[in-house]
Amino acid sequence: MIRDGAEGRMKLTILGGFLGSGKTTWLRHQLHADAFGEALVIVNEAAAVPVDDALLYRSTRLAVLPDGCACCAGKEGFLRLMRGIAEDRVDGNSTRGARLEQLVLETSGLADPGAIVDALRSDPVLVHHVVVGEIVVAVDALNGLVQMRGEPLSRRQVETADRLVVTKVDMADEAELKRLLATLRQLNPGAAIAGAALGSGAELPDYADAGAEPLPDLSGRPPAPVIATTLHVDPAIDWTTFSTWMSALLHARGDDILRVKGVVPTPAGRLLLQGVRRVVQPPEILPGGAANVGGTDNEIVVIGRSFDPADLPRSLRRFVEIAS
Amino acid sequence: MCGFCGFPSAPGHWTEAGSSATAHDRLRARYRRADLLKSILPAQGLTAHDDMQTPGICVGTFSGNQVIAANLAEVWEAAERLSGRVFDPLDPAFLDGGTQDGGER
Repeated sequence: MIRDGAEGRMKLTILGGFLGSGKTTWLRHQLHADAFGEALVIVNEAAAVPVDDALLYRSTRLAVLPDGCACCAGKEGFLRLMRGIAEDRVDGNSTRGARLEQLVLETSGLADPGAIVDALRSDPVLVHHVVVGEIVVAVDALNGLVQMRGEPLSRRQVETADRLVVTKVDMADEAELKRLLATLRQLNPGAAIAGAALGSGAELPDYADAGAEPLPDLSGRPPAPVIATTLHVDPAIDWTTFSTWMSALLHARGDDILRVKGVVPTPAGRLLLQGVRRVVQPPEILPGGAANVGGTDNEIVVIGRSFDPADLPRSLRRFVEIAS
Repeated sequence: MCGFCGFPSAPGHWTEAGSSATAHDRLRARYRRADLLKSILPAQGLTAHDDMQTPGICVGTFSGNQVIAANLAEVWEAAERLSGRVFDPLDPAFLDGGTQDGGER
């Protein structure tokens, strides 16, 4: 039951981003720079006629999944393809080179990466074969703000990212770019932000003084800003109590809690806890035994909206009171 | 996986990862989890039972309706279905020390 790292499973990097945000250009360059090694690249397109695969000829291994977005209409096809890949790997049918360890999924521009993570985690076969390593989301420096203003999907993509790659920075006006960066930081305070121009890394301006774009509410609910807060978990609280509380919290508030990240020391070792909305990855056991190496153990970053950050420690305390 | 009931269908739920150093740890954590749920769920008008033999946790209503949940995520889903409301740890009534019915425990 213990999940020690990937434990022989394939690591999947999900590359998302809105239509035309520069996903393929960025990926092409990354493949050229050998960032993903011998990864199998899966290209998903919402349209019936695939184009991106022609651009990604650099990849030695490529699978194309046309006709339907992997997070909704094409989900069955995506899961079928993934099961096929897992089966081939187990049977040793990998014809080219080493055993497959890395997968990169370039989603369609209309996919919600969170929904794909959810689909993989709920599949009883794939959960044994695939672990999601990182969610990278490309954001267009020229159109990103417009998309986030009008498209709830574009915001959801940004919110679920571990890494945001702002593309086309060489073509953007600096003030606009700073405003986009500040807006991204507000939407997803936990993600790393990098710049790219024609796929390769590019410097980003300092945007500490830039104001974020006030995004109009698209849900019909009163607008609620995204809050990033750090929950300090008292080391005296045992893992079972903490995880019971956290699972209840995610069940009740999973739509509002966008990310949960942190390291919790447990009897099994230091656990890296990572969640996207309601879905929590099987925690990885980090090296270092019970030692608090980085000094950040027991600090859980919770990113979400519509809750008072002070209520989190209060609720956990209350839970512990009832439990003891 | 249990050949009769199919539990667990997936590798351990994330909530079980922190207690799996030894079989003793796992069993201790399972007792602890059962105790916790027995303290928390009655405020929702529900019962929790884990016999430590068969997999899963039995969540029930006082009138006898029962659901077997494989893990904590399913426990909260079952609790919502059986009681008709979500157990929300951030509910002001819960935070203030009462139950979500408004009564003191």
